Formats: sequence, C-alpha cells, structure tokens
Amino acid sequence: MGRAGSEERSGWLFILPFTVSMALFFVYAIVRTAYYSFTDFDLFKAPSFVGLSNYTALVSDELFLTALRNTIGFSLIVTTVQTALALALAVLVNHAVRARGLVRTVFYLPSIMSSAAMTLIFLWLFQRDGFMTAIVGVVLAYHRHILLFFVGIAAVQGALVLKARRRYDGVSIFDPFFLLVAAASALTLVVACALAGLLPVFDNDLRVSWLNTQQRFFFMPVTLWSVALMNIFTTVPTLMLLFLAGLQSIPNALYDAAEIDGANAFQRFRHITVPALRPVTFAVVTMSIIGTLQMFDQVAILGDAAPLASRVTLAYYVYENAFPAGASSRIGMASAAALVLGILTIAVVYVQKSVGVKERAE
Amino acid sequence: MMARKTAADARPSRRPLPAGALRRRQLALSTWLYLALLAVATIMTGTFVLAFMASLKVDPLERPFRVYFDQLNPAAWIAAARLGQEGAGDALWGGLSPGAEVDFSVTYGAPAGTEIVEPKAEIPRRRPGSGIAAALMRHYAADYASIALKSSSSAMMQVRAEKGGLQAWQTRTFVYEITYRTDGQDQPWIERTPLNLTAPPSQTLVESPISPSRSERRGRLLSWDNITPGVLGLIFNNYRRVINETADLETGKSLFGSWLVNSFAIAAGRLVLTLVVASLGGYALARLKFSGSRFIFAALLFSMTIPAQVTFVSNYLIFRDLSLLNTPWSVIVVFVASANVLLMKQFFEGFPKEIEEAAIMDGASRFQVFWKIVLPNAKPALLVNAILAFQGAWNDFFWPLVLITSPPEALTVQVGLLSLRRSFGGAQGDWGLVLAGAFISIVPVLILFVLFQRHIVSNELTRGIT
Repeated sequence: MGRAGSEERSGWLFILPFTVSMALFFVYAIVRTAYYSFTDFDLFKAPSFVGLSNYTALVSDELFLTALRNTIGFSLIVTTVQTALALALAVLVNHAVRARGLVRTVFYLPSIMSSAAMTLIFLWLFQRDGFMTAIVGVVLAYHRHILLFFVGIAAVQGALVLKARRRYDGVSIFDPFFLLVAAASALTLVVACALAGLLPVFDNDLRVSWLNTQQRFFFMPVTLWSVALMNIFTTVPTLMLLFLAGLQSIPNALYDAAEIDGANAFQRFRHITVPALRPVTFAVVTMSIIGTLQMFDQVAILGDAAPLASRVTLAYYVYENAFPAGASSRIGMASAAALVLGILTIAVVYVQKSVGVKERAE
Repeated sequence: MMARKTAADARPSRRPLPAGALRRRQLALSTWLYLALLAVATIMTGTFVLAFMASLKVDPLERPFRVYFDQLNPAAWIAAARLGQEGAGDALWGGLSPGAEVDFSVTYGAPAGTEIVEPKAEIPRRRPGSGIAAALMRHYAADYASIALKSSSSAMMQVRAEKGGLQAWQTRTFVYEITYRTDGQDQPWIERTPLNLTAPPSQTLVESPISPSRSERRGRLLSWDNITPGVLGLIFNNYRRVINETADLETGKSLFGSWLVNSFAIAAGRLVLTLVVASLGGYALARLKFSGSRFIFAALLFSMTIPAQVTFVSNYLIFRDLSLLNTPWSVIVVFVASANVLLMKQFFEGFPKEIEEAAIMDGASRFQVFWKIVLPNAKPALLVNAILAFQGAWNDFFWPLVLITSPPEALTVQVGLLSLRRSFGGAQGDWGLVLAGAFISIVPVLILFVLFQRHIVSNELTRGIT
C-alpha cells in the first residue's frame, strides 16, 4: 500500500509541470474561447452575454463562408496530392537502393525550414515576372517541341511493342527498354526538326499574377493554388520518409511469393503494398489534414501581396477578427470561428480514423 | 518444354523474352528510376540553389535569369578584393578610409571610325537602399572622395558582330583614381563608394573590374553602387545590407541582429523548459501508475490535434494580465510540449525496468532513480527532443506574432521576416534584402541539421508512425 501511494504521489509530481501548462494554456483556453464565443468581448470592456448572435453573424459573413470553403478545398486538395506524391516517391526511392542515403538528406531539407523563410522564397519565385513565370514562358515557347516529343515517344514505343509482341510473350506497353529507345529517337527527331527550322519558337511575353489576383481556378482562388503548391513542396519529403520506413518493413518474401503466383507489378502494389502501408497512410493523412486545416503562416506572410478573399483561411479569419487592422477586436466572432475550426478538425480526423479502421478490418 | 508447348498452342513462334533481353529491361528500368529521382532531386534542391543565387544578385527579379554574374565570378572576386584593399586596407569587406587611393579602370569600345570620348565621371550622393538606411546614412563618399582621370590608352580588339564574323573595334581604357580628400577635420570610414559614368550611346563598356550595378538611359549612364566592395562585400552585399539597413531610427542598432538574438533566447529557453517538462512527464506516463494518467494522456493526444488559433485569445489575455506581453518569457512558456512528452514516454517505455526496480528496492526515491539512473541513459532521446524543441521554437511564427508586437527590436526573426516582406517585398521591391534575410534565418537550423542529421531523420520516422 505504501509503495502504491508513493507512486501515486511521485506520478503526480512528475507530471505536474506538464499538467499545469496543459491546464492553463490548453484546457482553460478552450473553455474561455467557448465562453467568449457567446459574448461581445473586445479585449477591453467586460464581456456581456449575447447568446448565439456571433454564430448567426458568422453564417451571414461572406468572408467567413469564403474562409470555410477555402480551408476545406485547400485541405482536400493538398492532402490528396501530397499523400499520393509521397507514396509514389517512396516507392521510387525504395527501389533506388544506391541513392537512399543521399535522397534522405536532400529530401529532408525543405521540411526543416521555417514557413516564413520558405514563403519568402516562394513569393520571390511567384512574382508576376519572376522565375515561375519564366519557366511557364519557356514551356509555352517550346510547346510544339514538347508535343512532338511525346507524340514521337508514343509512336515509336507503339511500333516497337507491336513488332516485339508478334514474336515474344510478355512485352508490356511500357516496356522500359523500348521506352528508352523511343525517348532517344523522339529527342533526335525534335532536335532534327528544330535545326531544320520546322518548329518555330512561340514568342511570348508572359506575365502571370500567381498571387495578387481575384481569379479562381476550379473551386479555389489562384492564390491558394500557389500556396498549395508551396505546401506540397515542403511537406512531401517528410511524408515520403514516413512511407519509406513503412515500405522497408514489408518483408520481401511477400513480393517474391506473389511474383511466383504470377502477379504483375501493379497487382503486387495493389494487394501487398497498399494494405501493408495502411497504418502509415492513416498517420500521413491525419498529419496532412491537421496541418492543412490550420494553414496560417503562409497566408499571414502573404499579407497585402494578395487580396484577402483570395487567401483567407479559417485560421487566418480567426486571427484577423481578433486583431483586425484599424478596428477594434471582435473576440466573440473570432472565438466562434475558432470553435468551428476546432470542431471541424476533430470531426475530420474522427471520420478519417473510423474509415481507416473499417478498411483495416476488411 | 512447357513454354514451347503453350506457345505452339496459341500462335506459331511466340516465345518468352530471352535472358539477354530481360537483363536489358532490368537495366533500362533502373535508368528510368534514377532519372526520375534525379529530376525530383533537381526540382527540390534547384529551387533553393536558384533562390540563393538570386539572393546574391543586385536585382533578383532580373529577366532573363542569368546564372553567371559578378558574385559568382572569380575574376570579379579578385578585382573586388584589390579594390577593397586599396580603398580601406580591407580585402574582405572593403570601404573607403582616409588616405585611400583607388585605381578603377574602364574600357569603352566602338566600331572603327567612331571617336571614343572620355566619359563624365562623378561620385554621386547616392543612398544605398530604399529602406530605413536612407535616413540613417550619415557619411557620403561624395563629400570626402574626389575622382580624377589618371591616364588613358587606346587599343584595337576583335568583336563578334551580330551577323557573324569578326569585326575590328577600337577601344580606349580610362584609368580613374579615387582619392580620399584629407583636408577636412573629421575623417570617417565610409562603407561604400558609388560611381557614375556618363558616355555617349555610340560607345559601349567592354571591360571593367566589376560590372556596373545598373545601366540607365539606354546605357548612357552606368552606375556602380560600390566600387570598393572587398570580396565578401561584393558577394554578400545583400546580406550585409539586411543586417545594416534594417536599423532602429533612434539608436541605429541593427534590428535584424536583435531579432536573431531574441530568437536565440526564446529557442534556448524553450529548449530547457521542454526538456524538463518532457522528461519528467514522459517518465511519469511511461512508468508510474497514478490515477488520472490515462486522462492526461488522452488530453495530450487531443491537444496535438487542436490548432493554436483556437486557444490563442485566452493565452494572449493571460500574458496581458501578467504584463508579460512583448517579452520573450511569454513565447517560451506558452508552448504545450505534448509531442515532446509523447516522444519521451515512448523512449522510456522501451527502457529496461529491472535496474530501476532494484534501486527502488534498495531504498532510493523515485526522483533519485530518475535523476541518477534514467536520465543519464536517456541522452539520445533528450538530444532528439532538444533539437526538435530548438527547431520548433526557432521556426515558430504564430506565437511570436501574437505575443510580441512592439517595439520593432523585440520581434523574433520569423516575424521580422514578415516586416521585411512588408517593407521591401513588393512588385518593384528590394528582393535581394528579403531573400538574404530568409537565408540568414535558416542558418542556425541548417547547422543543427548538418550536425545531427542522423538523429533528426530517424526520429521523425518513429514519431510519425505512432
């Protein structure tokens, strides 16, 4: 009894610093946020109860609805794209045995950088006549070359595969050796045509507003697409490393057995890799969702470089209402929006978790 | 035998690929694999390399994007070192100091038959940048230095004409001497020596020790921001400027410098606090049975999913009521180290129990066991935690943004970058400063990464999966 009692006491003493910090800065903070969301608090005068009016104001605030749409769209797109890319990249790296160490170092770099520094670099990249514009300009200038290159590859590859299939079994459409030959001959073709003057360069003086624009593409502002690109660029490497660790824990014997049973590469991926990676995928998707739903830093650093409606996210909406430029704080609105953000996060993570668990049980 | 039979059943003469062809396919597959990896790695690192190159340039937004310019040209480095040496006896950072005599030679060329006239040379009263530095600048080279033509000589050179083929040009080299006048009473060291050369458009500059910073009026006016840069002053001009030109108007102290100091203080404070909280808390959750431990663990996991934006109003008010706003303490303390506690908990769970139990039997207290036995053996986990805490605090943007708003020198470097962006990062902005600031802010974390790469990478893996 005495020992159990002392363990109880020392347990509480040991956890005390963490408990205090958590109770004060997390639990108490959430409770207060919930309380403020029902008041008209403005940081200075004493809060008075206003019922649900903050929430009704939210629903009729165009900016809040935009922020909500932007956040959900952003989270959906970025999570999907970066999970898929990270998985593809991990499979690639997993096969490239010789380059693994180097790849780990190189790919880890973007994720140690601060979001502020990263955003500034991307802002420079995405200036109206900046480097990104220049790249698109070059692609546009040589679009005929590029088109011819791909048509050439498809033609040569098709011809080679058809010819080989007449004599041999088991020649895939994407036969890597033929593809190498096809790429080389298509490249020669393009160079020859260009030298012969058959492929005029398309002159363009391109200016693209990547950030400072009201335009929308699909269902999200162009500005947020640019931010999404940056977010994917910085997060994919980290997620890739997680997938890579998962891949390396799959025993090779599974693949060997499947190959003997005649499963092709895609079938092996579909029926061995994907199920074995399910726990990692769950972790990756959860991290992505949490990270993207609270997108704030990049948007704040963009600041007046882009119109508010094209960049606002829920997290930024909360901040913007708590510390609006040249107006008094609307803590009530901010708190209500913050609660919406918190509940949205929990709901999405919960749904994702239950779906993930169900799939695992199948 | 089998293969031949089935092939014969289907169609005449269809065989599996021979061994040689299969090996070729393996090789081709590897080629594609490494090509793809190379492409991805190029995109990944290329972005940083390009941005870093741009951060050295006079105009990072220049179009077309040159990859070869003075800051990457060893010949220009040598010239810059000589000019810096002549200007202030400092080959690294240059300048202009009393007694200096600097020779600066420029060569103009023109098609044969066109007369090359002496350009009009002057040392302008130019401010270095658009920022606060303009208001702070006290000494102008124009007030102390004089420029005179020392000698000139003519020559011929071959120039590749536009239509192909060589064309004979005449050239004339003018050697200017810039001297520091020693008549005045006070003789300050001057950071940079600008130069303007105005010449008719019929003649073009073909050679100079360092390239002009810009050319205006269709090449008639060539201007150098600094002709006594020194080698580092040439290469890292933007980096020097971001330190010097983000200065406090009253004290003249470098803001960027104090941002760096603040960030260091906050990161160090958070590191210490996190280590204490996380090792104690992690040990309790891993080893000690006490009522409420499951509840605390659940709250820990929960707190990792909730964005800081949900809790910041209350935390802002707490520090406001304690009058701790705009102090480093608020940013150090506000962080709830859930992830770090989790990491330590996982480490301690994999730690053999027996030694501790033996020590308890011998009458040691829990804290003695923790201090004398557990902690000394937890160094790897503590190191990883320390790195993560430092990196997290250094890169943190949101809490410093909320809790430290004034005065300008109290900001951290990340929030400072935001103010850099606001002041210089417009469409026609001074992007050299912005990029240089961004790269300086990366340096501490980069050093940490290079030193402890192995630990960071391997840990990130375990943290994500659990």
